Amino acid sequence: MRLLKQPTHTLSAALMIALTLTACAPVQPWERGNLAKPQMALDPYPLQSALRAHNYGSREAAAGGNAAQGGGCGCY
Amino acid sequence: MLHRGVVVAVIKSGRVGSKLPTVLGQGWANDKAVCPPYQLGSCSHTEHKDNNSVKPVGGVCLMDIKNGRVTQQAKPPSVGLVLTPNPTYAGLSCRVHSMQPMRCVKRTPLPTHGERGNNNNKIVIQRGVKDSQIVKTSLHALTAAALVLPGMLGQAAWATEGDEVDFQYGHYQEGSRNITAIDSNGNFLDQKNPNPIEVESLHGHTKVSLTDRIKFAFNYVQDTWGGATPIATGPAAMGYNSALQAPDGKILSGSSPHFDSSRGLVDKHYRVYTPMYSPDFSSVEYKPDNSLTHIIATASPETRKQGDFKLSYDWDDAAISAGGGISIEDDYESRFGNLGGRWDFNNKRTSVNLGLSYTNSQTNAILDHDALPYMQADNYFVNHTNKRVNVDDPKIISGNRQDWTVNAGVSHALSQETLLAADFGYTRSTGYMSNPYKITEAMFINPDDFQYSDYTSPNYMAGFLERRPEVRNQWNVGGRFVQYIEPLDAALHFDYKFSADDWGIYSHDFSADWVQPMGYGWTVTPRVRYYSQEVADFYHSYLVVGKAYQDVDFNDPNADLNANARNLPAHFSSDQRLSGFGALSGGVTVEKKFAKGLSIETGFEYFTHQGSLKIGGGGEGSYANYDSWVANAALKVDLDALSTHMMQAMGGMDHSVHGGHDTANMDHSGHDMAAMDHSAHAGHGGHHHGVHGPAGVMFDHMLANSGDMMVGYRYMYANQAGHMLHGANEVSDQAVVAGGCGPNPCFLTSGDMVMHMHMLDLMYAPTDWLTLMVMPMWMDMNMSMRRLDGAPPDEEANNNVGNNPLSSAHIPHHLQNGHETGGFGDLGMYALFKLFDDGMHHAHFTFGLSAPTADVDIQLNRRHQVDGGFIHYGMQLGSGTWDFKPSLTYTGKLDKFSWGAQLNGTVRMEDRNKSGYRLGDMFQATAWGSYNVLDWLSASVRGAYTLQGGLNGQFNGLVNQFGPMDYPQNHGGKFWDVGFGLNAMIHNGAFAGNHFSVEWVQPVEDNVNGYQLDREGTLNATWGIMF
Repeated sequence: MRLLKQPTHTLSAALMIALTLTACAPVQPWERGNLAKPQMALDPYPLQSALRAHNYGSREAAAGGNAAQGGGCGCY
Repeated sequence: MLHRGVVVAVIKSGRVGSKLPTVLGQGWANDKAVCPPYQLGSCSHTEHKDNNSVKPVGGVCLMDIKNGRVTQQAKPPSVGLVLTPNPTYAGLSCRVHSMQPMRCVKRTPLPTHGERGNNNNKIVIQRGVKDSQIVKTSLHALTAAALVLPGMLGQAAWATEGDEVDFQYGHYQEGSRNITAIDSNGNFLDQKNPNPIEVESLHGHTKVSLTDRIKFAFNYVQDTWGGATPIATGPAAMGYNSALQAPDGKILSGSSPHFDSSRGLVDKHYRVYTPMYSPDFSSVEYKPDNSLTHIIATASPETRKQGDFKLSYDWDDAAISAGGGISIEDDYESRFGNLGGRWDFNNKRTSVNLGLSYTNSQTNAILDHDALPYMQADNYFVNHTNKRVNVDDPKIISGNRQDWTVNAGVSHALSQETLLAADFGYTRSTGYMSNPYKITEAMFINPDDFQYSDYTSPNYMAGFLERRPEVRNQWNVGGRFVQYIEPLDAALHFDYKFSADDWGIYSHDFSADWVQPMGYGWTVTPRVRYYSQEVADFYHSYLVVGKAYQDVDFNDPNADLNANARNLPAHFSSDQRLSGFGALSGGVTVEKKFAKGLSIETGFEYFTHQGSLKIGGGGEGSYANYDSWVANAALKVDLDALSTHMMQAMGGMDHSVHGGHDTANMDHSGHDMAAMDHSAHAGHGGHHHGVHGPAGVMFDHMLANSGDMMVGYRYMYANQAGHMLHGANEVSDQAVVAGGCGPNPCFLTSGDMVMHMHMLDLMYAPTDWLTLMVMPMWMDMNMSMRRLDGAPPDEEANNNVGNNPLSSAHIPHHLQNGHETGGFGDLGMYALFKLFDDGMHHAHFTFGLSAPTADVDIQLNRRHQVDGGFIHYGMQLGSGTWDFKPSLTYTGKLDKFSWGAQLNGTVRMEDRNKSGYRLGDMFQATAWGSYNVLDWLSASVRGAYTLQGGLNGQFNGLVNQFGPMDYPQNHGGKFWDVGFGLNAMIHNGAFAGNHFSVEWVQPVEDNVNGYQLDREGTLNATWGIMF
């Protein structure tokens, strides 16, 4: 909850939305079966994602958002 | 909600997998009241595994029980809790950290095997439900969703899966770019540049639970790239690439930067005009031409290696992690560390992540020699801390860069079928962020020239090393939406990320995936992505300076080196990565999950980069367009699933036997390391005997039982250094100069050579007398070079028979830079046939084939307008021929002693490879003995004799021969080695079933053909797990 105090509007908004939604549509643990399927993982293929992120990062200006994941210079 | 009373669940065991007769959902057995039939969700957190509890299988042990039936399984077949036949596991309790309140305390003896219905294919579970318990459990249950959620944007480290080992290979291939070239007659040509850049990537990943709550993850990544890439951009009317053409008109080699500003004209508005000559060159007309061209330069192969780790600690509703790593390449070294935290609340329906990371990177780049005549880096040297060095010396750009990143994310289960995640990140980067290999061209125009004419030729076209700002603040905000599509059992993923920075770049990144399970373990995922970015404030295709260019003598210590650079903007770059463009890509991923926790994943993606695809238009011109593709394949091993299978199959197999590979099998001959037949030696070891062959012996064992599988990894490090040998004797440099290079004198020799090999062992036994094996392999090598004492002056190398007339220009570069190669090696395929096995003695024959999948035509880059030609024979990545690799292996065991012997050979089945030569055949004999010093540890001693034939033929193209390694006669020989090894077979604990071995192979005596560098030794290390 400390997060809410941060001057980050985006985050605050996201949290507010999340909490609001929580109140109106409870998802009970036993109702989360579909959510637990592998295809529902936020990143179903993390190995490939890492490779793609490296390729994109070497060819595009926007950083991957994970500067401290290594990746080298990409100076080519 | 749940019904009071007794629910009878009838589960058809067949649905769960024929090998798992006792899958019981999450099985909250309780003799008074039974946990409700809700889903357990992910049990990926490690559970206690005492006698009365069971470790769930796989990452997810979800079961969706509707109307008392198991209707689906999340991660087939590793579903639910698998109760082993072992009666001690009959009581069932799954304690997941976050599920403590749900724990079913009292255990009901499970039905007996008969009751469980192995025979009638049914399992009957009785359930009772108490309201109080429902409330309690509903409040506290850890759900799979909650576990999945933390895998937030950029926080894959929180991945919820259990222990795992993964390997991935990726190949990136860029398409040719359109360039303007000029041939030897001065004709301008529109060309596709040859040899575009390609990257070979290898990724190994493992994650293991050290304790219930502590996890350790490790990644190793290796990229090798080489090929041509743009270094500068300018008006096509004035800039061009020189094209070396073969008689058939095909461009043979890379290009070199040239700008001839006198060729075109500019007007007062700096518009460019290109000359249009009449066919007989008697008249010329200028027409406006704003087209641009890249100047392309090629690079010899280079390799980057990265290792990183993450250690995490999990509480029931939170986790923290700390990680770090290092990435090393020749000209860039980067160290990084990160901290992360995750908090779950709202009944685990919502998770929040916070992360902080720091990266410190050091650039030490030797500027491209071929570009130096065309660019001015000296002003850079004055402006920066780099010292100015002699014009003829290598110029090195040094710079440090630091990045701090914070990110925060939230993920939330919006409904039973919808997940949402949002992520915010801020990165502050300071220091040297330029690309040391990119040049920005500046067109100097003397305004006085317009006094007499409306048109003039630019006064000068000068290239300057690019300069980017030394501070960058970047913000990212992104969201993910994941929707379950019930009728198709599919999931739609939609991701969006917006990024903005104070360089003026902002970008949008959209992607959508459709993850479609197809049954039988197959999943197909088509994907599309669109990316668009705005141009950086300081990006210019080229610069125009409305002032005359001033000549500067860079050798004059008093010269004003900044005379021209002073007229440039503070920051500039023409790196197209900073231009405005859009990129569209699409691809597909296909995954197949096998039984026992193995899965294979392949993917392909096509990517097109175009200025016109930018949102709102106005992107970079079409000259900068290119396309590329990337293909990848991964093998994933779920160790939790494996260990459960092994528990189930206890006694069914004996994992104890893996043999090593024989390094000695590899062609150790001098510089032929690359060509070593790493591939295969066959050998079965006495799997029945628990014999561990030394790590350097390949194929020393078969799999004992039909249906068995093994996944293994082998690493080999080999080093050559020290004296030069001629036959069995050390020789002086002078002797090498005189005799090592045939009719020519030698100038250089290798100072040392290091090879690393990474191999995967994938074994499968369709029957108990046959084991099939595939061994993909990656390798990388580097060689340093030194000048031989007594070598003649470099210029004489131009006279060497077969050398390029100007080749001596390469000698200084060989000495400065050394050489690197790397990539996918030859692919080995083997069949191991059991000949004899009585429990004490075992013998098998291996029939092997090695396919020429490795590159054998790697060339050095062009320098000083002189082609580099083929790199040394020993640094090509494979044999280039189909090879037959038979072997015969015997192993034995008695009490604590074991022993073995193997004969193996390699026969090249083709006369020449595509580069014109053939490696020699190879024969090897090896024998070893080993003693079990501990129950789980044995030590071995081994002897090996290797006969490696000489190299036949020679490169069928240019090779600049400067030293013994470039001459075919200096390959092969006879080698004697002694190996000292350790083998560990883990029988219990968290790593039960894993086998590790290591062996150092020490050269004892060499008798080489011709002149070769001495060998220092070879280290072999293996890991394997059988299931």
